[in-house]
Parts: sequence; C-alpha cells; structure tokens
Amino acid sequence: MRKLVWTLAAWLTFGTLSYAQQTFPRNGAYDERSGRYAFTNATIVVDPQTTLQKGTLLIENGLIKEVGTNVKVPAGTVVTDLKGKYIYPSLLDLESDYGMPEVKKARQSFRSAPQLESNKKGAYGWNQAIQPESEAATLFTVDTKRADELRKIGFGTVLTHHHDGIVRGSGALVALTNESANQALLRGAASAHYSLDKGSSTQNYPNSLMGAVALLRQTYYDADWFAKGGSNQENNLSLKAFGQLKGLPAFFETTDKLGVLRADKIGDEFGVQYIIRSGGDEYQRIDEIKATGATLIVPLAFPDAFDVNDPWDADAVTLAELKHWELAPGNPAALARANVPFTLTTSGLRNKADFWTRVRTAVEFGLPKEKALEALTTLPARLIKAENQVGALKKGMLANFLITSDDLFKNGSEIYENWVQGKAYIIKEMNAPDLRGTYDLSFAGKPGGKLKVTGTPSKPEYQLVLNDSVTITPKVSLTNQLMTVTYQPDKKNPGTVRLTGWLSARELQGEGTLPDGMPMNWKATLAEAYTEPVAKTDTTVRKPKELGKLIYPFAGFGNESKPKAETILVKNATVWTNEADGILQNADVLIQNGKIARVGKGLTAPAGARTIDGTGKHLTNGIIDEHSHIALFAVNEGSQTSSAEVRMSDVINSEDVNIYRQLAGGVTTSQLLHGSANAIGGQSAVIKLKWGATPTEMWLPEAKYIKFALGENVKQANWGDVARVRFPQTRMGVEQVYYDHFIRAKEYTKAWQEYNALKNKSGVTPPRRDLELDALAEILKNERFITCHSYVQSEINMLLHVADSLGFKVNTLTHILEGYKLADKMAERGVGGSTFADWWAYKMEVEEAIPYNAALMSREGVTVAINSDDAEMARRLNQEAAKTVEFGGISEIEAWKMVTLNPAKLLHLDNRMGSIKAGKDADLVLWNNHPLSIYARPDFTMIEGTIYFDYQEDQKKQEAIAKEKARLIQKSMEAKAGGASTQAPQTRRTRMWHCEDVVGIHAEHGEKE
Amino acid sequence: MKKIFLALLALVPLSMQAQNPAPANPQSKPIALTGATIHVGNGQVIENGIIVFDKGVITAVGGSATTFDRNATEVVNVAGKHIFPGLIAMGTTVGLQEVASVRATLDYQEVGDINPHVRALIAYNTDSEIIPTIRNTGVLMAQAVPQGGMVSGSSSVFNTDGWNWEDAVLRKDDGIWVNWPAFLARSFSQEDFSITIKRNEKRQEIINELRRHLVEAKAYAEEKAPSPMNLRLAAMKGLFDGSTNLYVRAGYAKDIVESIRFAQDLGVKKVVIVGGDEAYKVATYLKDNNVPVVLDPIHRLPTRADDDVYLPYEQPGRLHKAGVKVALSYNDEWWRTRNLAFLAGTAAGFGEINKEEALQLITLIPAQIMGVDKQVGSLEKGKLATLVVAKGDILDMRTNVVELAYIKGAQINLDDKHKRLYQKYKDKYGQDDLGK
Repeated sequence: MRKLVWTLAAWLTFGTLSYAQQTFPRNGAYDERSGRYAFTNATIVVDPQTTLQKGTLLIENGLIKEVGTNVKVPAGTVVTDLKGKYIYPSLLDLESDYGMPEVKKARQSFRSAPQLESNKKGAYGWNQAIQPESEAATLFTVDTKRADELRKIGFGTVLTHHHDGIVRGSGALVALTNESANQALLRGAASAHYSLDKGSSTQNYPNSLMGAVALLRQTYYDADWFAKGGSNQENNLSLKAFGQLKGLPAFFETTDKLGVLRADKIGDEFGVQYIIRSGGDEYQRIDEIKATGATLIVPLAFPDAFDVNDPWDADAVTLAELKHWELAPGNPAALARANVPFTLTTSGLRNKADFWTRVRTAVEFGLPKEKALEALTTLPARLIKAENQVGALKKGMLANFLITSDDLFKNGSEIYENWVQGKAYIIKEMNAPDLRGTYDLSFAGKPGGKLKVTGTPSKPEYQLVLNDSVTITPKVSLTNQLMTVTYQPDKKNPGTVRLTGWLSARELQGEGTLPDGMPMNWKATLAEAYTEPVAKTDTTVRKPKELGKLIYPFAGFGNESKPKAETILVKNATVWTNEADGILQNADVLIQNGKIARVGKGLTAPAGARTIDGTGKHLTNGIIDEHSHIALFAVNEGSQTSSAEVRMSDVINSEDVNIYRQLAGGVTTSQLLHGSANAIGGQSAVIKLKWGATPTEMWLPEAKYIKFALGENVKQANWGDVARVRFPQTRMGVEQVYYDHFIRAKEYTKAWQEYNALKNKSGVTPPRRDLELDALAEILKNERFITCHSYVQSEINMLLHVADSLGFKVNTLTHILEGYKLADKMAERGVGGSTFADWWAYKMEVEEAIPYNAALMSREGVTVAINSDDAEMARRLNQEAAKTVEFGGISEIEAWKMVTLNPAKLLHLDNRMGSIKAGKDADLVLWNNHPLSIYARPDFTMIEGTIYFDYQEDQKKQEAIAKEKARLIQKSMEAKAGGASTQAPQTRRTRMWHCEDVVGIHAEHGEKE
Repeated sequence: MKKIFLALLALVPLSMQAQNPAPANPQSKPIALTGATIHVGNGQVIENGIIVFDKGVITAVGGSATTFDRNATEVVNVAGKHIFPGLIAMGTTVGLQEVASVRATLDYQEVGDINPHVRALIAYNTDSEIIPTIRNTGVLMAQAVPQGGMVSGSSSVFNTDGWNWEDAVLRKDDGIWVNWPAFLARSFSQEDFSITIKRNEKRQEIINELRRHLVEAKAYAEEKAPSPMNLRLAAMKGLFDGSTNLYVRAGYAKDIVESIRFAQDLGVKKVVIVGGDEAYKVATYLKDNNVPVVLDPIHRLPTRADDDVYLPYEQPGRLHKAGVKVALSYNDEWWRTRNLAFLAGTAAGFGEINKEEALQLITLIPAQIMGVDKQVGSLEKGKLATLVVAKGDILDMRTNVVELAYIKGAQINLDDKHKRLYQKYKDKYGQDDLGK
C-alpha cells in the first residue's frame, strides 16, 4: 500500500513537470509543445551496467518516452543524429546548498557577553543550532548562475539543504533548470540533515564538539518524549518538526574520518543509519569506516601540492600533510576496493570546473569507472528514493541526460549538451567543424606561409608560420562558421593584421585589413590532414605505483602495521613492584598474552619469547596521568554551569602525536578530563595510550568519571568584565549549583523509578530522559565518580559537606593545591588528592600552594597522585614525582606510587594496573636509570604486552620520517615544475589543552593573549 | 655536620613570619667549608675539598690539603655534601611579577613598541615572595628582563637577596632586549580550535622599523652633546661600544641568522640569541660568529609534530658539542625558575653533555654572557663567594636539597613562604619533621 501511495505521489509530481504551471496566468498566447525529441545512433549509457550501441533515446514532455536500439520515432519529432557520440544520464549530487540562502557563520567574540538563550522568536526549541523546522523546499530559489556552473560539469539534479546548524531540517530534490522554482523543485522533504557544526547560531551552548554531540543526542530523546506525550506538557514546534524528519533518509555532514565514526556512533544509539558526508581522508582508517556500514558522500577536494622549494619553509609542513597530498586522490579507489558504498560530491571544490580532472585523477588512482558513474547517478538516486526519477535513462524518468563526445571518463572527453527536464542547455557546439590540419595561406593571391590548426575540434589551437622563421599565435574566434583572426606579423613594428572569413569545404577565405588600412582578400587551403599525435606517456607525478605507505595513526611516528603483543622475558632488572616485595634486585618478569605472567628470579623464557636484558636497568609500571588533556579535539563545554551531559569520549583524537610523546616519557594511561570552566563539567575518558589504535580501542569505558570544578574558573574571575552574566559568580553560588543539580537528579531518579514500577504504562507520559541528570544520578548511585578541580580550602570543605548531606562521594580532588590544609578531612572520607608537584603563583587561588602539599596529604593518609594537566609535563612525571622526595622527604617507593599505583587506585583500576604482579596488565616501562632520577628515560614503554615506544625504534622512525619527507618534497617540487597548483607551506595543528583553557580566552600555555 | 646544620637552623626564629626573612648581614669573618665535593663550575670537581672565603671573596679552593688560618676562620664541616657555584637564571621576570592574574602585581611590560629606555632595574621587587623560593633550589642570581613590544627594555642582574634593588643588583643595565618578528606566524581558528602556522607576511615592516631605530641610535651615540636629547636613543648607546648586550629573542633558524646579520650590519658589538628553538640548525653559524644562545625552557614540547620527541632536551648538548655557548633559562615563567637546575639535569640525561658541562649552562656560561664572570659563575679564587651547599647532585630533584647558601660570603636565611606553611601544617597534624 505504501508503495502505491509513493508511486502515486511520484506520478503527481511528474505530472506537473513537463507543463508550465497550469495555475499561472499567461502573458500572451499559450505556448504548449510536445517537447518530442529523438536522439539516434548514439552510444547510450542507460545506467552503469547497461550500454546500448547505436541506440535511440526518445523524450517527450520532459520525460523519457523510450530508450533502445529499436525505437520507433513518431512523426513530429525533432531528430538528432548522434553518430559517434554518447548519451549519459545526468549526474546527481546529494551534498549541495544550491539555491539556499547564504549561511553567515557566527563569529563569536569572546570579548562580548554570553548569549544564554536562543535568538529565534516563536514557539521553537531552546537552542538556536537545532533547526528541524528549516525546510529547503520553502527556502529554495533558482540560481541560474550556479545552475549553469553545475550543468557544465554534467549535473542535472541536486539534493540541496540549508547548511546551518546541528539539526538542519529537511532537504529538497531540485532540477538544475533555469525555469521557475515551481518546475525546478522536484520533491520537498526528501531528506533529513544533521551535523555537529552550530552554523549561524550565536547562542553559547554548545561551544565544543562534545557539547554538539550531547545537544543532538538530547534532541533525539526530547523528540521521543514529545511524541510519547510530552506535547501535552509543552508546545514546541522544533520537536514537532524533528519528529516529522523521522523516516527520511538521514544525512550527516562531517569533515574527517574520526568525524564519520563519531556520527555513526550517534546514529547507532537511535537506530539511524546516517549517510555521511566525509572529509576525503577515509583511506587512513578504512577498516573502521567500513565497519560503520554507512554510505558515504565523498568529496574530491584533493589538497594542492606544497611549495617547498625553501628547505626551511618545508619544515612547516608535517609528514601527515605531505602524505595526505600524495594519497588523497586514492581515497575513492580505496573505498571502492573496500566495498564501502559511496557517492561523489562537488562540494568542497573551490572551482567546480576542476570536477572532471579530479574524477579522472581518482580513476587513475584505481577507482573503477563504473563505480564512479554509479557514485554520480544510480546510487545517489537510490539513497533518496528517486531511482525511478533520476540517475538512469529509463522510460518514465526525467529527461535529464548528457550528450558527450566520448566515454565521460576519458581524458579530453567533452560534454556538449546537458538536458534538464527535456530542455537543452548547450555547453559546447556539438557539430563544430573539425578545422584541424595544415593550410597554405595566400594573401591577395600570393603565397603567405602556413596556418596550422591542432587541439580538439571544439577547442582548436592555431599557429601561423609566416616565413621560415616567424611563428605567431594569432587570436581566433569562431562562431557559427564565421571566423575572425588577428595577429601582429612583425614584433618590432607594432601593427595588427585583421582578417575575417568563413568556412567552406577544405577552405577558409575572406577579407582582411593590413595595419596601414590596406584591404585585401585571403585564403587558406587545406594542404595536409591532421594526424593525432602519439599520446605522450602520462607524466603526472602522483602515479599510484609510486605511493608511500599508509601509517597508523596517520601522523609522524605512525606505524606501517599495528604493533602486536609479544611474549617477553625481561631479565636481571631492578623491578619496582609497588607490592609488599618493594624493589626487587636482579629480578625477571615474564610477559605473556598482554599480562604479567610471572615475577621472580632465574625465570626461563618460554619458546618463542623475546628476552630483553635488564641489567643495570629499572622495570616499573607505566605512569598513569590522572589529569590530562592530550588527544582531545576540545576540552571545555563552558557555556553552562553544568555540562554533565558531555562526554570526552566523543572527542578523542587518536592521531595526536602527544600520545607518542607521552609514551616516550613512560606514560601508559591518561585520564582525559573536561576543563574547569564550570562547576559540573563533562564525563572523562580514561584511555590507554595505544599509539595507532582508534579512539574506541584506546578508551576504557568502565572507568566512569566526571569532572567537577571549584574556584576562580567556575566563577569566571579571570575572564574579563563581560563574563559577569553566567551564574555563579561567587563561591557562595557554587554551593547552590551543586545543591540544585543534585536535588533535581534525585527527583529525576525518583520519577523514573515510579514510572518503571507502573504496571500499566499506557497513556502515561514517561519522564523526559535528561542526559545531564542521567550523569548526576549515576554519581548518586555510586556508578560514576567525581574528579574535582579545586584549590582553596574553603570551597573544598564546602563540597565535602554538600556531598555528605546529599549522600554522594567525592572520589578525587584534583590540583587540590590547598589539600594540605584539609588533609585530615579528606583522609577521614577517603577522598584522594591528585596534585601538581610545585605549581603556584599564577593566580590568587594558588598563592598558598606549596610543594610540600603531596607530602603533607600523604602522611595524613590521603591517596596522593602527581598529575600533569600539561602535555609536556606529562612526559616528565617521574621527575615531578621525584620532587616529593626533595620537598617533604617522601620515600622513593612512595614517590613512585604517586604516578603509578595511586592514580590507578583513584581511577579504580588498581585491580589491573599500578603494580607488577602476576595477572595484571603488562603496562610496563624499562628505564635506563633510576626512574626518579632526572637522567632517566624509557628504553621501552609497553601496554598490555605490546611495545608502543622503543628507544632504538624511535631513532629509526626519525630517519624514516626524514627520508619519506625528502621523497615527498621532491615529488612536490616535480609537481610544481609540472604546473600543479601549489599552496604555501603551512601546517595546522590541534591545540594543546589545559583545563584552564576556555576557547579563545586563554592562549596556549606560556603565551599571553 | 648535621648538628651544625641544626644549630644554624635554630638561629632562625621558627615563629611564623608573615614576610620574607631579612637579608643576610655582610660576611664578618673568614669562613671555610670543608669535606665537601666541590663542583667548581669550570668542569673541575674536587673531592673532599676546602673552600675559604673572606669579605665576600673566595680566598682559596682546593683539596683537603688546602691551607688557611684555622684560628681566624669559622670552619664548617660539610662532609658528604656538594658545593656548587650559585645558579644563575637568565631572562626571567623574577622580581617583576608576583601573581599572574593580578594586574597590580605585574611590572614587566610597558606600553608602546620601542622601549629601550625602560629598566627592569628599578622595578625589581626584593620583597617578592617568589625570590626566597627560588633560592631554595640554588638560584642565587637572576636576570630581570622587561617583556613585550619590539624593543622591550633594559635588563639587570640581581642577587636573590637584598634590602632593595640597589642593594641586590649585581650588574645594572646589562643589555637591551629585542623581539625579532617570527618568520612563521600562527593564527588561531575559533571554529575548530586549530592553530595554523604559516609564513609571516608582515614582518619586513617591523624589521625596517627596528633598523630605523638602531641606525639613528648609532648616529646619536656618535654625538658628544646630542640635541635634542632622546631617552630611547641614549639607552641604546652601549650596544655600539660593546658595553651592553643586544638580546634578540628569535626562534626559527631563519630569524636567528637574519637577526644576527642585522645586528652586525648595524655595528652592534655583542649579540645574544634568546629562545633559539631551532638554534641547532645553525650551530655552525652561531659558533663562527661567536654568538651565544640562551635557550627557552627546554621542558617544552618539540616545535613541530615530526620533530624528535626529545629534541628540546637534546638541544643544549648538541649546541655545546658544536662549540656554541649555551645558557638555559626559564624565561618569563618567574615562579618556575626554581626548576632551573632540572633543566640542566634533563639536558645531561637526554643529551650528549655530561653533568659538569650541564652545570656550566646555568653558572659559568650565563656569567660570561652577561659580563659578570669575573665575579661569579665558578668557584675560583678572587671571585665572589656566591655558592650553594646541597645534599647531593643539585641537578637531580631528589638531592637538590639546599642546606646552606652564601651570597658574597653572607649566609642566606633559607626560610620561605612554603616552608612556613609546611611547618604550620606539620604542627597542626603533628607530623614528624622530615625532609627539607
């Protein structure tokens, strides 16, 4: 039944196509026509699988009437003989903003006061970036200039949508005609569109990537609640519209490979398989991309070569950027090889005219032509359920097709005409005479040299050879077989000869004027027919066969293959067990299956094991950094007092070189914390630093933590005078924020308990699922644990009391620079402290921070960790721990635990990490010196039995990077010499974060702004 | 020894002081420190050595056989300890800033681009609570440096003890500081929070402007009675007769070479490169031109993603080996200056440079660069008795426990705010007295 309805709808739509708008009054006589055309003797590519030789295409009223080799052409048909030419279905782009109003991206000034509420007036949702009510169909207008641009490269229809916001409403399928919008608009509400880009929204929330994820997820839940009865409690046009998008093909715009994975994960939560617009770097993580099951919309925006003639300039470009330049054209081919379904898009191309060069380059790199055609015709049509309308040449479909000189994918192939809804748009003259050849020239009857015509029939190139030596390139225009030629015969004596003429068989002739005004006639007679030059071997520098290898991650120091766990026996080392045994001298440790198998003396290596001599070296646990912000795309969702709903796991950057750098400092596990911009921050992600793995593979989901914060950042004390709007502005307010939120979380929990206990739920609106309160409810249930950024004793004392009275526990106080003043209270409640070794003096709340803090807390019975909050310091945490020996006289064994076992305890991971004991994870470091010594560095760093950093290997990697860069730089220079467009050397790098960093306010560490 | 030490400690009133301890009185009688390992600072190490000083000046340094008048001298047995020259922190804002977020406490940056005439000298606050904390890791001298603009101002070198700047200063106005416009500029995107680094197209203008000021300063310096008087130009006079340094903050290799050529071309006699992230690329050039380098804190990440991960740690060793004079600094991170010794330790641990050479990067070489090596920088006869007695290796955190410190022979009170708070809370909790 549904199908029938759809077909009917389609019919109705078709019905209105071919005719002018019946409801519109006419000026002058009616001008209805049959629009019946037949194209004969053509090679017709019906669809990527079917090609007809000597076929006929018959169209009428803007629709295809018949296609075949045996088509009867009725009388009254305009017939065009297309012998030697090709007909293709015209192309379809699903990622377009054609005919949409311009989106003015909000340039938020962080010097201006925050905007907490939506600027959109009316009964809409609360957030300006959520615009499900936006309809491309109502926004659409015909843009003849852009339509022309797209038609020239072969497109006939596009799926267009307003690229504004996180939820962007519905898209519309439109034909690229110059006729009225009524005719161009084929179908409104054809698709639903999403992204994580807030677009023109000036509202503060969300101001981070993880905030955008949370907002989108919350909107799905809100819409669900709204549909299940929430609408009786609240009128909300946005949620209503969001519900109406359900069931439409859902499109998600992303910019990079990790973005694709992120989008797909959101879809999985809500049972939606998004069609994802990718960034063109999917080849770098092809297995994971394939595993999403998503169909991609792939751009052809390959990067330009870098202008690297100056070696010091070249240093500004990273290995990853150079490699991407080389490999990006192979992205579509890689997707095809992996059987990932995808369409191609023109979006992202600065110049749309480059489209075919890019497609052909992709084909050169191994993209099968049929796949390419499918990606531009049948597949996109199927994705938006328009396969009966566009994308192929079948009876009843729109008469949207191309007439081309040749196989579209062949170099030099040209599009002559692009027919849209049965109307021809001439791109190049199809029957341009082939003038090519060599002609004898005569002026006023006397021989006057030769005219050589080469190039292609539609784009001939002219050359005049006047005497033996003088060769001139004249200016020639040729239209409708009339020709104008101008040239300067003598460079020394300025003066232009002007000729005008016409073509006849094998001859050009006409009148001319000499520089002095003397008239004369001229003639050019074909003397020698044109012969096609032997095709030069393609010297394109980016030849697929010469390509460099993929590395994981796609960054300097990446590995060509993912490292594997080994069986290793470390012999005769000084082993810091962190167990009752303390430090064992001349001990052996066996590592098997990613675990520590045995610890002892005189162990023998099992068959196949690698033995590493630890003589004179120290074997310890990997360092665990309780407070880190490396490997993140963003750190603070600081726009609201609470952002408990955001998850750092959504923004893990597995390609961050700082992962490798931490390994080089013996770090194996890091807690990636939200920043400290608000009282209730976001959910942390604890990761193991498995260099080369994906975000998901690194993440330990069982470690459920959340960042809280107290002090100057929360009350925005150092954010300037404009930041005096958001509650709270004082420590008094902070207390109330906690009471308020936890009391709401309790009520929320109760509401769900009551609802879940109902025997008969019918007719009862369930409570609204609230991601923020979910996280707080988990804290109350002791399922999620708090790490609270804190400095001064008054507020810490406050939080401890709030927690006591509401019945939750503060797990860890981080920074905790005045922890020494409350160490007794912390110890009493079992609250841990994770602190800096010696930071102070950078703001008022650290004025009483002392380097003896760790020692004082530790002696009072607090579990103390030393953390970094800094990508650089993290790789010297052993040195930082050693400062507790200097300041406060902590024993070396205890000092070492502060960066290993103690953080493991604070993260509730000490059952598998933090000490060297049989059965625990083999996260180990072999140091060349006493690990607390300033002279120590790792020989290797291992996670779960896999060596991710090896000092010897590192030296080799540096050489390999230098070599690979040198090769790519040579190739770039060849490309430049070969005329490729280039870009100035520049590099983009993601920011180093500190928890103090609020976007735009604080610059990188050490820089003043 | 421990007894002596405790006895000395007892002299310091343990009552809670709300402010910094009083500066030390001048040395009143000869002192001999005996039994320690003496790290002279020129590479020489004396086991079981003796160092004697009087009226603030070292009178003898040597092995256990060194003779001195035992009757007239206070002999302090520091057997098992290690003696080092007082560490010198170059390029700091010590004394010029107190609490970073409180504007009223910041005195290191003037308005305007060309400020050669502003002087760190008179802003140096001897009562800063930071100063006693940095003495406690062995930093006994610090160069206070104005920041910002194109020409930031004039620096001075101070002892980290004194009643006022006049009392504390070791060398007034030792150099003029210039910020060389960086070859590559960075811009921050508020959209994706990324940083783009590309060629700085606006720098030539700045260089031209700098050139104009220096050319005019040189001409001005030639006038006997210049008229009209110009404070800015007058302040740069010393650059052209070699009496003051030109410190150029430059990081990229191109900037380094370009700025040195620029200064030489204008007749500046002594140029010092500060920052020097890429100095290793032009080590030969630096050596050939006899230009020293003061490196930015080497506890930093590599500049570029593909750089050797340990490059900043290794660089001092590489430069030193290539024959370049290198000093280490904590630059404007005033409170972190107390970690200066650990920069040298890291350089020794990761680079091709031994511990005694690494020690010179924070003692003798800074003294040479700033023109105070006749007075300080090493423990040699005739130099000032500015020295530290530590529990062990001063470059390693575990043994960098400063037990005694002398500036010009005067014994420094090693109390500081952190120790006071430590004591206060040890008392509260009844914890044992452990560690420093």
